[in-house]
Amino acid sequence: MSNPARRTNPGYGRWTPFWFLAPAVVALFLIGIYPTLFALVTSLRQYNLTRSRDGFPFVGLANYQAVLSDPTFWDTLARTARFFLVVMPVEIALGLCVALLLHRPGLNFLRALARVTLVIPLATTYAVVGLLGRLVFNRDFGVANSFINLFGFPALDWLGNSAGAFAAICVMDVWQWTPFCALIFLSGLSMVPVEIEEAAKLETTSHWALLTHVQLPYLLPGFTAMLILRSADVLKLFDVVFTMTRGGPGAATELISIYIQRVGFRVFDLGTASAQALLLLVITILLARLYIRFFYREIE
Amino acid sequence: MSFLRLQGIQKRYGPVSVINGVDIAAEAGEFVVFVGPSGCGKSTLLRMIAGLEEVTSGQVFIDGQDVTGTEPAKRQVSMVFQSYALFPHMSVRDNIAFGLKMSKVPKSEIDRQVAEAARILQMENLLDRRPRQLSGGQRQRVAIGRAIVRHPKLFLFDEPLSNLDAELRSQMRVEIARLHRDLGVTMVYVTHDQVEAMTLADRIVVLRGGKVEQIGSPQTLYDRPVNTFVAGFIGSPKMNFVAATLTGRDARTVTVAHSSLATPVRIALRDDAQTKGPSVGDTVTLGLRPEHLVLGDGPNRMILTADIVESLGGSTLIYGQTKARETMILEAPGRRTLTKGETLSVGFDAAQAYLFDATGQAI
Repeated sequence: MSNPARRTNPGYGRWTPFWFLAPAVVALFLIGIYPTLFALVTSLRQYNLTRSRDGFPFVGLANYQAVLSDPTFWDTLARTARFFLVVMPVEIALGLCVALLLHRPGLNFLRALARVTLVIPLATTYAVVGLLGRLVFNRDFGVANSFINLFGFPALDWLGNSAGAFAAICVMDVWQWTPFCALIFLSGLSMVPVEIEEAAKLETTSHWALLTHVQLPYLLPGFTAMLILRSADVLKLFDVVFTMTRGGPGAATELISIYIQRVGFRVFDLGTASAQALLLLVITILLARLYIRFFYREIE
Repeated sequence: MSFLRLQGIQKRYGPVSVINGVDIAAEAGEFVVFVGPSGCGKSTLLRMIAGLEEVTSGQVFIDGQDVTGTEPAKRQVSMVFQSYALFPHMSVRDNIAFGLKMSKVPKSEIDRQVAEAARILQMENLLDRRPRQLSGGQRQRVAIGRAIVRHPKLFLFDEPLSNLDAELRSQMRVEIARLHRDLGVTMVYVTHDQVEAMTLADRIVVLRGGKVEQIGSPQTLYDRPVNTFVAGFIGSPKMNFVAATLTGRDARTVTVAHSSLATPVRIALRDDAQTKGPSVGDTVTLGLRPEHLVLGDGPNRMILTADIVESLGGSTLIYGQTKARETMILEAPGRRTLTKGETLSVGFDAAQAYLFDATGQAI
C-alpha cells in the first residue's frame, strides 16, 4: 500500500523555486541588508577615512556614546522634530480639506483632473523641489516676495535669515507632501460605505459630526501609514534642504540627515555617522510602533 | 391634506429619465408599499423622500410641509437600508443611540429610549455587541431600533428583508407588521417581492419604468388590476394570459372564444369599458389566475395538455399547454400525479376572469 503522505514529483527541480526568488533576494540583500550590516559593523569601529593609516579598530559602543553625548546631534534632532511638528499638522489639515472637497459628489471631470494633478508634486524629484524652492524664495525675483508685496509687505531675504529659511523649507515640504496626505485620506473616505454615510446624514446635518463619528475610523489606518512614512521620510530628508539651503544660514535648516551627511562625507567620520544613522533607524521603528499602538484601528 | 404627498416628481440623470412625473399621496399611519421590477425607480423615489437624492422637478410634502429642498436630517424621517448600514465601529447601543446623541438628547433619556427600543425588538442581550458579531436578522433589528428611537414622522424601508433567508424574512415581515400596528407611524416600504407587498401594505403603488401603473389596496390590485402588467405582477404564481377573440358584445358583457375553450365565455365588462373598448373580431387577452382554475370542474371549460407537475406539499402546480401552445399554470389543492401529454379539463368562473384590450388595458 502506498504511503499517502509521500510527496509526488512536483514537476520541477529542487532548486527551481530558489532561482525564481533569487533575483529579488539578491537585490534586497545588496541594496538593503548588506549596507545595513556594513553600517552596523562600521558603527562599532573607529572608521575615519582621513586617518586611514590608523586603521579601523573595533571600539565597541564608543561611537554611540559619542553620538549620544554630542549636543549638535540632539540640536539637529530637535530641529528635525520641530520641522515635523510644523509641517505634519499643516499637511494633515490641508490634505484632509482637499480630500473632503474631492469626496463631495458632482463635478466629476474636475475632480478627476484634480486627482491627477495631486500626483505632480509627489512625482517631482526632491532635488528639483529644492531648486524650485530656491527660485520661489529668491529675494529679487521669487514668487514668494511678489505674493507678499501684493499685501504691502516689503521683500524678504527668505533664505538669508534663519526663520525665513526654516519657513521656506517647511513651505516646500507642505507643497510636496500635502497631496500625498490628500490622496491617502481620499482613499480612506472612499472606503466608507455609501449607505453608512447616508444613514449618518439622516441623523445629523453636521459635517464635523459625520467626519468624527463616521468617516474618521475609516481614515485611521491610512493616517497611521501616513505618519510612519512621513516620520521616516523627514528623518532622512536631505535633497530638498541641501539644494535649497545646504543646512544654512548657520545651522538654521540643518536637519539630522544633513548633519549625518556632514559628519560622514565632510569630516569623513563614517563610524560616528553610521552610529547616528542606526540610531535614526531605531527612532523610526520606535515611532512606527507608537503610531500603530495609538492610532491604528481595524474596521470590521 | 395627505400626510405624505409626492407631486409631479421627476428625476433625470443627464439625458436618462428614471422617474417620470409621479404623484402619490399617503395618509397618516398608512403603510404604503412601492413595488415593481428592478430598475423601475422605486428605491430612487424612496431616497428622494428621504432627501438622499435630489428631485429634478416636483415637490415632496411631509406633514403639510414642503421638504423638497430640506436636508435629510431635518425631514424627521428614519430609513432602514437593505444592507443595514450599521456603523461597524460602534456597539449596538451606540448605533441605536447615534441619532439621539447627534440631537443632543440628555444621556439618561438616551439610555431610557435605547432600552425601550431594545425591549420592543427583543435584543436587550445584544446591546454591547458589535455589528460583526450579529446575524443578518439581528443586524436588521438593530437598524430598525436605530430608526425607532428617533420617533420619526415617517419610516422608510428600502428592501430591508432582501438579504435575509426565507424563514427569517417571513419572521421579520411579521415583526414589521406588528411594529406598524404598535407605533401607528406612516411607513413607506420598497420591495420587489409581491408577497411582502400584499401582506404588509395598506396601499400598494405599482411602478414600472419610473411611472405609477396603479395605486390601491392589495385587494383592489388583485381583484381589479388596470392592465396586464399589474395583473401579472400581483399574485403568485402569476396570472395566465391567453390571446382570445371577441365574438360578441352587448352593453355590459362580451363573449370571447379561444381554441382551447370548450364554448365561448361571456364576461362582464368593467364600468368604464362599457361605452368603448374592442369590437367584435378584435383580439383580446384573457387573464386567469392559477388559483381560480379548477381541475375537472367549473361552469366554463378549457382543454389543456399536461406538461409538468410541481408538488408544493400542500398543493400542486400543474403546467399545461393550450392548443395555441400557450403555457398555463393551475394551482390544485393536495397532491396530483399526471403524465405528460395527458388531456386536462380545467374549469373556471367567468366572474373571476380578466379581460384586457390589445394595449394591455383592462376592459
